[in-house]
Amino acid sequence: MSRPVAKKAAAKGEYIETLQLLFPSITLVATLPSSAPLTSYKDSGNKVSRRSAITGTANITLGGRTVIMADVVLRGDLHSTRPTASSSGKEGTPTSISIGKCTVVSTGTVLKPPCRMSRGAPNFYPMKIGDNVFIGPNCVISAIAISSHVHIGANVTIHPFAVIKENVKVLPNTVVPSAMVIAPGSVVGGRPARIVGEVGEGWGVSGGGAGGGLGVGGGGEEKWVEGGDLRELVRSIR
Amino acid sequence: MAQTFPYTYYACDCYDSNNTSSTKRASQLLQEAEEDERTFDPRSPRANYSLYPLEHLLYCEDCQQIRCPRCIIEETLNWYCPSCLFEVPSSVVKSDGNRCTRSCFSCPLCTSPMQTFSLDMTGESAPPFILECQYCRWSTLEIGIEFEKGQGIAAQLARIGNGGKHIPTNKERDKERERRKEIEGRKSRDLLSPSTESTNTDADRADGPPSHDDLFSNLTAFYKSQVDAQTPSNPFSSHDINFSSPSAYSRIMNLYSTTGSKKNKRNKPSAMREVASSLEGLTIHDPANDAAAIERIKKEGWGVTLSPAQKHAQINPNVRFVDELRPLATLLCTKRSKRCRSCRQILTKPESKITSTRYKIKLLALNHIPRLSIRALNAMPPAAVASRTADAFDYNALKPGMPSHFLLHISNPLFDPIKVTLATPSTTPGRVQSRVTILCPQFDVGANTDIWDDALSSSLSPIKRGSITDQAPQIEAGKIWDRGRNWTSVAVEIVPGFTNAVSSDGRDELEEDEDVLEIPIFVRIEYETDAGADERGLGDSRGSKGEKERREEAFWTVVGVGRIKG
Repeated sequence: MSRPVAKKAAAKGEYIETLQLLFPSITLVATLPSSAPLTSYKDSGNKVSRRSAITGTANITLGGRTVIMADVVLRGDLHSTRPTASSSGKEGTPTSISIGKCTVVSTGTVLKPPCRMSRGAPNFYPMKIGDNVFIGPNCVISAIAISSHVHIGANVTIHPFAVIKENVKVLPNTVVPSAMVIAPGSVVGGRPARIVGEVGEGWGVSGGGAGGGLGVGGGGEEKWVEGGDLRELVRSIR
Repeated sequence: MAQTFPYTYYACDCYDSNNTSSTKRASQLLQEAEEDERTFDPRSPRANYSLYPLEHLLYCEDCQQIRCPRCIIEETLNWYCPSCLFEVPSSVVKSDGNRCTRSCFSCPLCTSPMQTFSLDMTGESAPPFILECQYCRWSTLEIGIEFEKGQGIAAQLARIGNGGKHIPTNKERDKERERRKEIEGRKSRDLLSPSTESTNTDADRADGPPSHDDLFSNLTAFYKSQVDAQTPSNPFSSHDINFSSPSAYSRIMNLYSTTGSKKNKRNKPSAMREVASSLEGLTIHDPANDAAAIERIKKEGWGVTLSPAQKHAQINPNVRFVDELRPLATLLCTKRSKRCRSCRQILTKPESKITSTRYKIKLLALNHIPRLSIRALNAMPPAAVASRTADAFDYNALKPGMPSHFLLHISNPLFDPIKVTLATPSTTPGRVQSRVTILCPQFDVGANTDIWDDALSSSLSPIKRGSITDQAPQIEAGKIWDRGRNWTSVAVEIVPGFTNAVSSDGRDELEEDEDVLEIPIFVRIEYETDAGADERGLGDSRGSKGEKERREEAFWTVVGVGRIKG
């Protein structure tokens, strides 16, 4: 169903991206006005595929150096209806999806804020995703919160109001039931998801030690690890 | 966990040492390995317990050895509920058990968490409340339980039995027992009736066999009274302590021991009596129950019975049918610190706060042991890391008999340059024998210095390619493939074995994962480090200030290359 990301040569112009930031420590948070074209992501270092389907851009916050790949659906239009009724005006634009720094959303994934019926009407709740989160291809995510350094495999379904804490690995093809809280440092898998193990102490620590990741330019060697700093990965996506 | 190819596992050397406390130095280990010419077999049943990915290994700086989960000691720092993330004091864990006492429950059918819902249709959260599983839609309505409040479900559930029956508390049970005993005692005095009649009256009043909890409390009370009767005046302990004291325990054991122990009998002439009625916790097996169960399965089918996993998860071990299920309170988790088993040094110590994921102490093997990784040589996607596209090398279909080249990449986390010696058996162990040649088994790997040193020292573009030569590297014996700041890669030639050759040796098909190509590689590293820099002052007898100390490290690794398909 979803096409694989085109190869590098063909991918020229695939992403609407920014220039390389000179000072990687500076982060810019971009909140898009609804009328603004997608190019206004530019200053924040985010890379958003032209082939992604994003609705309600005004309600989506990207933390910077975040990658949204092709065929990703971000349902920013599903925002909370109740607070806007009280606070009118452009200042109070409700947030429906906020994504942190260096987070990668792979191809074909759908991010849809969770919904709950209250007083007979559906009410959507904002979804929050932390930094350095990797979301694999073809996932359907409705979690209320995903903390930092989480690795989600391919074809994972996360039901509404699930909470995923830090340093969690979700194995491929997992179905996380609704309202499940996954404690920090667990490995979950299965349908429904259950805790199958713990990530090691070295989770997210890149191999090269303190000095800096694996060998620089290691000839195609992976310079990022699951749960670690995804900056190198983000840099490599073009 | 299913690992994707290629992968590298590291063997902790506790796999062949019987006493984990032995602190073998690397040189001794190497000597032994050379002496008996043994190679590590990743397929031996023992290897299952010693192979770990590098992230799971710790490193003891005092022993200078890798520490795997088998050669560490864990100490529980605190307990917490993984669902509501509240810390549970250890005293509560001791008294109430290792389950959450708030409102955290998981579904007895599918294990997913249960949520509290109001049955009130007006939209307000008003009683009655139920617990419902959003995954399989099982709810407490199916066992006839509703709650009056939305909070403190655990306390409410403890009082409601299936079908809305009231579960007596321990105190009520005690009172009830006393009352019945009195009635029974009066009756037996009046009628001098045999025990059969009294059990009948019991059954009449309790309508049905007593519950698991009832029996347990009856038994506890009975044994408590027995022990109290046996030791009427023990000046050292009160009644409660007496019950679980070693003397009481040995007395109970005496009951079950054979008549041979005459000595004890002489000392304690009055033996404890066994339970005699259901009030004292006696259960008489009733064949009618079994017959009823069989009848029920006949009528309603297997659907009403439980799977072994569901039955195992229940607290009451005698549960058979779905209408006997109880929601399961969430099991607590622990935060643990880890110590080296031989020298007791703390290897990891997390911060005690539940929400914190930081560590106070963390000694990882990742920071002391070079990381090995293998990949196919022809698949050269310099930046296609993220998108593992279809044209990449298929590690799940290695062609048998076709020599193919792989790159073994060794990166050094240490701050000193290391000398690496690799060794591998020429054919892999197991029934599918693949030939392996490391073209350059001895080489140096640079120190893990500051990332900018590399850039400043060389005029070449440092980030793109730190290679030593400008021309494309050649596959040549005795020469490394490429090198960078703190990494070196060498070429490995692999001729995958024939999977069909196995069937000719008499035995039939391959067993599971026998077609996986795993190469055991022995890694020995040698380096000189500043002896004074060793903050723990080990080995300081030899090295005075500024003097270098030679160190070596040796361990087995297993590199999973791929799956042979032929």
